[in-house]
Amino acid sequence: MNDPLNKLKNSMKKTVFKDLSFSHERKNAVKEAIQRGKHSHPQLHFWKEETILYILDSIQYEEKHGYEISTHLYQKNDNSFIKSEGQLYTLLHLLENKGIIQSEWIEEKKYYSLTTKGKKHLAAVQEDAPKQRASLKHLLEEAST
Amino acid sequence: MSELEQVAVSAEEHETDREQLIDQLMEKYGNDILHLVYTYVKNQTTAEDLTQEIFIKCYEKLDDFKQQSSMKTWLYRIAINHSKDYLRSWHYRKITLNDKIAEYIPSKSKQVEEEIIAKNEETTLTKAVMALPIKYREIVFLHYYEELTLLEISSTTTTNINTVKTRLKRAKELLKDMIKEEV
Repeated sequence: MNDPLNKLKNSMKKTVFKDLSFSHERKNAVKEAIQRGKHSHPQLHFWKEETILYILDSIQYEEKHGYEISTHLYQKNDNSFIKSEGQLYTLLHLLENKGIIQSEWIEEKKYYSLTTKGKKHLAAVQEDAPKQRASLKHLLEEAST
Repeated sequence: MSELEQVAVSAEEHETDREQLIDQLMEKYGNDILHLVYTYVKNQTTAEDLTQEIFIKCYEKLDDFKQQSSMKTWLYRIAINHSKDYLRSWHYRKITLNDKIAEYIPSKSKQVEEEIIAKNEETTLTKAVMALPIKYREIVFLHYYEELTLLEISSTTTTNINTVKTRLKRAKELLKDMIKEEV
């Protein structure tokens, strides 16, 4: 059986695809877009260290949803998110991406809790506050670039 | 090195790995993806723009890649979905409507040009395939050009395997008629 479609590959290569290639300019445009995207993404060190510690602390023993976390911050007199609630969720998302916290959906609400890694960080910071704090700061800056 | 520092370093390495991977994917599959996209949108500049967007999308979605499929299948699936999204977009519908109106205005030079090239067998086959409705065109292309099995086509296009079989059969019938008319 001679299927004319067996010639398709050859035919298309000789016709429509003849001058069609993904150029270096186009590839570079992709690389540039990736670089730009990295810089426009939210960065961890954009936030105060204390704020991050308060968040980790608030979900240390029980999981909480975003609003409970923001109430906790408010009680600690941390007003970082008072006018921009949405930013809190950006930060939570970022901490989740870094594997410091995890989340699960329960009845349409997202509850956050510490991962093992997050617990270790928090424990280290609380044990030897000044020294480890510097180290946490370092982590946040490095992880954000 | 403290554990915290290690985490920081691995996060940085992870970023560089991802960029290198996209680089390799572009080298290996850049042309293939461009050709694939072209069969959907039939316009070189649009195909190039979309291919660019597809690789950026892949970079963003790399963490979702779970190795349940091959990297190529994953990449093709993103490309196909992105092309179809474009065809559904308002922008595309608007420009093609204008093109369709323009087609009704006869152009003498276009006719002559077509007569000269149309007699070539390769051109005839390619033209016929490109003129198929998308649901048939994609299956013919993936099967005969990309040489994917029907099962692979089913998973790449997220179409039921029986639908793939039916469409391939129908596509061949349509092509037969189209090519007969041309000759």
